Amino acid sequence: MESLAAALRLSPPTLWMIVKILIVFGAPLSLASLLTWVERRGSAMIQDRIGPNRAAVLGKFRLLGLPQLLADGIKFFMKEDLVPNHASRTLFWVAPMLAFVPAVLGFAVIPFGKSFIVGEYTLHMSLLDPQNGMGMMFTMAIGAVAVYGVLTAAWSSNNKWSILGGLRASAQMVSYEIGMSLAVLALFIRAGGYDPHEIVAAQSGVWNVVTQFPGFIVFFTCMFAETNRLPFDFAEGESEIVAGFHTEYGSMKFALLQLAEYIHMVTASALIVTLYFGGWQVPFVKDPHVLLSVGAFLAKLLFFCWVFIWIRWTLPRFRYDQLMRLGWKVMLPISLANLLIHAALMYRAGH
Amino acid sequence: MAIVVKKVELSWLDRSYIVPVLKGMAITMKHFLRQLFTPSRKRFTIQYPDWKKEMPEGYRGLHELKRHEDDSIKCVACFMCAENCPARCITIEAEEFGDLNTLQGLEEKRPAVFKIDMLRCIYCGMCEEACPKDAIWLRKDYELAAYDRLTMQYGKWDLMNTYAGPDGKLRLLEDPTPTVARKPVLP
Repeated sequence: MESLAAALRLSPPTLWMIVKILIVFGAPLSLASLLTWVERRGSAMIQDRIGPNRAAVLGKFRLLGLPQLLADGIKFFMKEDLVPNHASRTLFWVAPMLAFVPAVLGFAVIPFGKSFIVGEYTLHMSLLDPQNGMGMMFTMAIGAVAVYGVLTAAWSSNNKWSILGGLRASAQMVSYEIGMSLAVLALFIRAGGYDPHEIVAAQSGVWNVVTQFPGFIVFFTCMFAETNRLPFDFAEGESEIVAGFHTEYGSMKFALLQLAEYIHMVTASALIVTLYFGGWQVPFVKDPHVLLSVGAFLAKLLFFCWVFIWIRWTLPRFRYDQLMRLGWKVMLPISLANLLIHAALMYRAGH
Repeated sequence: MAIVVKKVELSWLDRSYIVPVLKGMAITMKHFLRQLFTPSRKRFTIQYPDWKKEMPEGYRGLHELKRHEDDSIKCVACFMCAENCPARCITIEAEEFGDLNTLQGLEEKRPAVFKIDMLRCIYCGMCEEACPKDAIWLRKDYELAAYDRLTMQYGKWDLMNTYAGPDGKLRLLEDPTPTVARKPVLP
């Protein structure tokens, strides 16, 4: 690393920053496109089907249907880019970006491996170094911005279905945000700080999922609501309101909205792993090697991505009133109780 | 009297929602693993253009006009099938033929034209039921599609040769016995 940095006439931190940017923005994107394949093939297997397997490179190599990604990408680029007559043009164009950018940004503070030392520098495996003053707040704030993408897409389409979808999605996301924030607050109290590095370090012994199981359940559920995935996909609701907020979208704009959902999924899994499953910590290994820590993080991340897909193809969609009742009458009290209990325990321990 | 729907009392475990969700996830995972580790030939899906389903006995697919052992047509042009056809897709024109054929049960009538419009046919099998000579069968071929309507008009020779290949029979293009010119009807 040092010699490479010297060859490029950069200091190791600068080079590492460039590499990190490539990783942090590249990995979720490529992972998201891979997840579309996992989703389609996985759901097919769950439903005793086969799934897309006929797209082939050069008409010969099927590669388990992976070329389908390529075919879909090419198709989305080639399609006509249509803006409906009655839509609000500017917002209609901005909406996919509003959905896409926060989804990618959310990954910025999450440590995806152990910090390591090169020469005199300590390099960290997260885009923003620890002690940057934002910590998890950044992710939470960015996550809250994500609702604007859906809402803008829905509103600018000037379509009844879209507006219904956007309305439901915004109500859902806002009401689940509260339960989620309270669950995360309890973690902050336990870890003594809101920096993800501190939270991961605090889990070197026992993972948070053991000590704060109710909080985990709340957070996990709220993550589904935040990502608009199936038990809570009120924004889309394809069996009720056509395609919800992206009814009017086509071609690459639709692909961006869809990709944003999958990147959200990756980010949400990363959050769950960081907050409740020890981040890059390896169970039973006191001081893991850097690569091992990255591997552990990746393995946990992929597992939770799969859980997202798995649950989507297991549970049917909630009814709207059930969703609201679950959010306000179940999730909020549980996370509030969780917070109060942990606050009281910490107070008794003399903090 | 109306049916009283019994309301199921859920136990607290079921109402907690977590355990039932885990149960459901176990079921989907079971399906996933089972499908994943089943060889693709043994899965439910038949990947059609590559693999084809062998139709069971009694399937009503493409027709065949049966023939005797000497390759002469069994059909005696009695018009029963055409009469019975609910879709009216069979057109028959009869003709006489000279040499009495013992195998044909001393018949002297046969179709000169036997046409089935496959676009009209509903594959009900009524022609097969009605046929006194067992001369028309509906068999297992089901891939009947063409780019134009004319191709879907199956004539006598098409119908006699539909299963010639699989059955190991000769492809026929003319009757073994010649046609007799129709005698003019005397006034």
